[in-house]
Amino acid sequence: MATVTESKKRTVRINGCVASAQAAKYADVDVITAYPIRPYTATMMALAQMVANGELDAEYIVADSEHSQLSIAHGAASSGARVFTGSSGVGVQFAYELYSPISGSRMPVQMMIADRTLDPPGDFGSEHTDALSTRDMGWLMGWACDAQEAFDNHLMAYRIGEDPRVLLPQMVCQDGFFVSHITSDVELPDPGQVNEFLPPYKHPYPLDPRHPVSHGPQIMPEQGPPLQLERARAMEDSMAVIEEVHDEFANIFGRRYDPWVEEFMTDGADVVFFMQGGHAVTARFAIQHMRDRGVKVGLVRLRTIRPYPTDRVQEVLSKFKVVGVIETNMGLGSVSSGGVLYAEACAALYESQQRPLVVSFMAGMGGEAIVLKEFYWMTEKMTEAQKRGKIEKRTHWVGFEE
Amino acid sequence: MSAIEVQRQLLPILDSPNQGARFYNPELPSSEPFVPGHRTCAGCGPSIQYRMTSKAAGDNTILIGPTGCMYVANSSYLCTPYNVPWAHTQIGSAGSFTAGVAAAYEAMIRKGKWKGAYPNIICEAGDGSASDIGLASISGALYRNHDCLIICYDNEQYANTGIQASSRTPYGGMTTFSPPGPMVPEAKKLYPKDLARMMAAGHPHCYVATASVGYPIDLMNKVRKGLNHKGAAYLMVYTPCQKGFVYETPRSIDLGRLVVECGLYPIWEWDPEKRQYDYSFRPQNMRPVSEYLKLQGRFGHLHTQHIANLQKFANEQWQMMGVELPEALLQAADAKNLVNMAAAEEAVTVAETV
Amino acid sequence: MSTKGTHIPERLKIPFAGITPAPSQEKGQDLFPTGNWRAIRPVYRDKLPPCNNACGTNEKIQGYLDLVKRGKYVDAYALIKEDMPFPSVTGRVCYHPCEQACNRGKYDEAISIRAVERFLGDLGQALTRDVVKAGAPNGKKVAVVGSGPAGHSAAYQLVRLGYKVTILEKSPKAGGLNRGGIPDWVLPQHVLDREIERLVELGITIKTNVEVGKDVTWDDLKRDYDAVVLAVGLTQPNSVRAEGENKDGVLYGLPFLRDIGMGTSKVKLGARVAVIGGGNTAIDCAREALRQGAVEVTMITVEANPQEMPAVPEDLHDMLEEGVELVHGRAMTAVLGNGKVEALQLHPARFSGAINASPINVNREVPAERFHVDHVIIAVGQRAALDWLPDEFKSDRGTIKIDRFGRLGDTNFFAAGDVVQLGLGQPLMVVNAVGDGKRVAFNLDKVMRGESLQPRTIPVDVIFDLNRMNMTYFPHFPRVHQTLLAPASRRKTQEEVIQALSEEQAVEEAGRCFSCGTCNACDNCYLVCPEPCIERPSRSNGLYKILVDYCKGCRVCIEECPTGCLEGVPELDFDTGVVRMDTAFAILPGLHGRQAEELRNLAERPAKSI
Repeated sequence: MATVTESKKRTVRINGCVASAQAAKYADVDVITAYPIRPYTATMMALAQMVANGELDAEYIVADSEHSQLSIAHGAASSGARVFTGSSGVGVQFAYELYSPISGSRMPVQMMIADRTLDPPGDFGSEHTDALSTRDMGWLMGWACDAQEAFDNHLMAYRIGEDPRVLLPQMVCQDGFFVSHITSDVELPDPGQVNEFLPPYKHPYPLDPRHPVSHGPQIMPEQGPPLQLERARAMEDSMAVIEEVHDEFANIFGRRYDPWVEEFMTDGADVVFFMQGGHAVTARFAIQHMRDRGVKVGLVRLRTIRPYPTDRVQEVLSKFKVVGVIETNMGLGSVSSGGVLYAEACAALYESQQRPLVVSFMAGMGGEAIVLKEFYWMTEKMTEAQKRGKIEKRTHWVGFEE
Repeated sequence: MSAIEVQRQLLPILDSPNQGARFYNPELPSSEPFVPGHRTCAGCGPSIQYRMTSKAAGDNTILIGPTGCMYVANSSYLCTPYNVPWAHTQIGSAGSFTAGVAAAYEAMIRKGKWKGAYPNIICEAGDGSASDIGLASISGALYRNHDCLIICYDNEQYANTGIQASSRTPYGGMTTFSPPGPMVPEAKKLYPKDLARMMAAGHPHCYVATASVGYPIDLMNKVRKGLNHKGAAYLMVYTPCQKGFVYETPRSIDLGRLVVECGLYPIWEWDPEKRQYDYSFRPQNMRPVSEYLKLQGRFGHLHTQHIANLQKFANEQWQMMGVELPEALLQAADAKNLVNMAAAEEAVTVAETV
Repeated sequence: MSTKGTHIPERLKIPFAGITPAPSQEKGQDLFPTGNWRAIRPVYRDKLPPCNNACGTNEKIQGYLDLVKRGKYVDAYALIKEDMPFPSVTGRVCYHPCEQACNRGKYDEAISIRAVERFLGDLGQALTRDVVKAGAPNGKKVAVVGSGPAGHSAAYQLVRLGYKVTILEKSPKAGGLNRGGIPDWVLPQHVLDREIERLVELGITIKTNVEVGKDVTWDDLKRDYDAVVLAVGLTQPNSVRAEGENKDGVLYGLPFLRDIGMGTSKVKLGARVAVIGGGNTAIDCAREALRQGAVEVTMITVEANPQEMPAVPEDLHDMLEEGVELVHGRAMTAVLGNGKVEALQLHPARFSGAINASPINVNREVPAERFHVDHVIIAVGQRAALDWLPDEFKSDRGTIKIDRFGRLGDTNFFAAGDVVQLGLGQPLMVVNAVGDGKRVAFNLDKVMRGESLQPRTIPVDVIFDLNRMNMTYFPHFPRVHQTLLAPASRRKTQEEVIQALSEEQAVEEAGRCFSCGTCNACDNCYLVCPEPCIERPSRSNGLYKILVDYCKGCRVCIEECPTGCLEGVPELDFDTGVVRMDTAFAILPGLHGRQAEELRNLAERPAKSI
């Protein structure tokens, strides 16, 4: 902890990648492992410079692949070190093998994701499919919509994931470019505040020659289910911890986030957007504009997708007539034949007494911005559905339809 | 930043027993990092290697086991024979997981989060992991020079999955992925990847050596040299697999000697200081490859031409080590001078029942 | 909440994330006993090494070589002293049947056991206090008649058993054959003196100039002692019964050597000397003759060639090196000369049957040869002088008649050494006499304690076949040869011909020992076991233990045992230590729950020292 030299809270203008790097520095990580892929690379570049400058005492390992990155992170966390790694796009998927072993061995590895479209062809733009494809692997997961939130999410994720009641890895996601590469003001805390908030990492059974244990022995088929059940329990038990930690964060740092969903101008709203990540910032402008024109539209932004706050989503979305899910991800041949968020939102609403109409929008794909005009168009589609009492079709490809 | 200096261990090198007339092993440490109660086959070569390696390393050790026999058979059903910390990792993660453990200890000791001498960090990768799927990760760990020892326990096949060919399976070796048949009489057509030499050539700052369970003290000393070397070390160890090689279990150590004596497994060290190979290790005898082949069912199908090919390969290995070849071995590289392997048919029958 | 209301049944309780606590170093991973995979169990069974077997007194040769190899010289000396009172003597004079039996002889060259024995004997001589102590006195008195090898050995063993021993010796100095039959240049007198001193130190009384039959009678012995060991040896030289054998200049082997040994010899040898006989005494006589001033010494033997001679090959070689000539296939049929020997009459001859054990056929049909000599020394064996012995105990061959335990009838008299062994047709050598003395002493003790004498019935397994060992572990390595005095200088001196081994040489030579069939704690089984299930509480011979709960019966240890001590025994032969089938493949119920408990307690467990 003594390695952080800043002594005071201060505000800096940095992008999301650097904010993540700063968060890793404040968390005094021991092992960082990097492999270049845009756009998350900027985080690792910033960390490399910090280590070179002596601002952060950590082992900085340039891995030979994302698979190795995650394996290094797994090994280091198993030994008792706090680990930071990250990736984007196909890099996230190259490491796919490791997601389950890491959460299965209950190692609270932290991974920063700056989203990127999957190939083909090579596309630098943001799309949430990369991280979402790993959503069921036992990692805590959520999206930030700006640099400050990204910084805060990293600190909270360490605190949640390392909690002995949880011990799960975390994927702290932000949209590539829209968050990762756009600068904004970020308040960096006083190191003392971080010390108060985030105790040193201590796994109960690390690889320590003084207390030898074996990690990950082979099991009998009948031993699989109890281990899975325990992992599922940890995921569910984390919900209470997540709420606790958000409260404590607010008390220490003065910024209060709803751990599950952010509601924006939902008072009296008939139709709402349901979405994750950085496009919410544009959505807020569009909604304000439409509210000025009397359209009863609001925004529900999902902050944590794993664990999925089913009850909360049901409770919130049931207040409205129409819900428009903005996917920013691809679920080819999925329930809605669009993205993957629709199915989960619908499932959450299924048991509701007042089910809203739900429609899915394929927008923000391939890294394209969702412009105000498109939010207006989508609002129109929702209002029409409200009037009609039924949706025209489950999924709209925004920008490709009249 | 006030970094704490990392203390490293220095393990003493054992006397070689066969100096002069006597046979008598040097005093071995009493600690047992590897204990009985595991499901490896009777006479398992990799298990013998594990025993020797862990004995040489001692208690301040962390073992890493990528998927392979020494993971599946040793830790079956939540049992563990490891009396030191051990962790499974994915088969392709041999070098990277090990690097993570090494980096963690460097950082934790330096930052005062763990007190004690830097542990021996040993990765026990099978040849499938080391030569195929985990090659890049091991190369990465060696290249970055983490203070660790990566061992390839080379049983020349994927044994745990039921005997499949790896890049280390020798020419002529029968496996379930390289069966002999009328179109492919020699079974495996490819010669093994020269893995250890590849590691030495590509990572000349590392201590690299080959060893065999047939020479236990040499093996244990190489383990200790690798651990004492500050930085990464790589050791490739011949470990016969009675299930895949199809031989009688008592011959495990004997095969470890024969493979060296017949030149199919050259034993050498790469000295990272001098940047040169040390070829001074010499077995007691030099033998034709047929003496090694005939003990194993996996070679039972070979024709004289194939045996001659293997002899030629062995002769090349000897020559590379600067050993002058006796006339008999040169002759044996010509199929005209050979007879078909004795009891070849019987050996095939045994092999097919595996 | 999907996990609400779930519970994990007791039998599936497993540790956190499957993280498994380490097994114990002592017991192994007791969840998974693999012992019932085994069909053949490795068992440590020490065999008798051929050297121990061949030795007349069954010295634990492999044992002391092993101790020398590890630098434990005093322990080695103590071990040798269990069976051999005077290793410094046998280390010089023994005909070493052990070396003939040595398995290494079939491989490269036999171990130079005698040289190592001498190294230990000399080491023992240099000790201020001997390692051997007299036994607690049992109040019984024993007389030992004769202080040669057998008497010395019997007295030594008896005093260790607690007897009050008196040695009666007819000569002015004790030592018997060791003093009278062995030249100084083989066994210096001071070496023997020191060994006799050791006997006195143990509390043995030695009465010299006491001859049985003259100074004491049979009845005296019977009256004055609780038991008696007769080890009177063979004192009368055999004659060849040749014409003119009574002429001046005709000498007999043992008296010739004895007089020189005792310092009472008045003989001045002429230039040409012949020795009759082909045995070891004859060789000693021939070589002694050179040292006594003879210029040309010729040895005349009935044997047709050197190989047939009943002599130690090395000694024969040394003799020839010193310049003694050999004449084979001749018998001396007459001594010619006018009152004094001038020449010998020789006829061709051969043994009628087995060499040395059958009458001699002399071919008198060819003309006799005349062989000029100044002296002739006849060395064709000895016989006993037993006038004093009651007739009932005399055998047909002029020796003492004993039962198989060395006892004279049901008396408390025992006999040992050449005086009985000649009668039994056993080879006569110092070490056999020592062994006989030892065994008779033990038998005497049993009789004194009222125990019955039982012949040995347990068969011994002696390794003669090198295939029962793993020869890979033994590189060919040349024997360490003792240095000899230069042949030319030997004639002028009574100095020892054969020089002692240095410490390094002794260790190197002992290191060549295979330890045939005997565990020598080489640690090989311990190191090569794949489980590993061979326990080694401390590194010591015979202390290895196979953990039968785990041993899978792969037999690698048996194959790799260098000495052949480990052997495989079918599991069906055992009724203990067999692992039940149901434990080897299935986890015992509740064990993972216990593991989970152990894991939780891990932090409270004392940290393992590293």
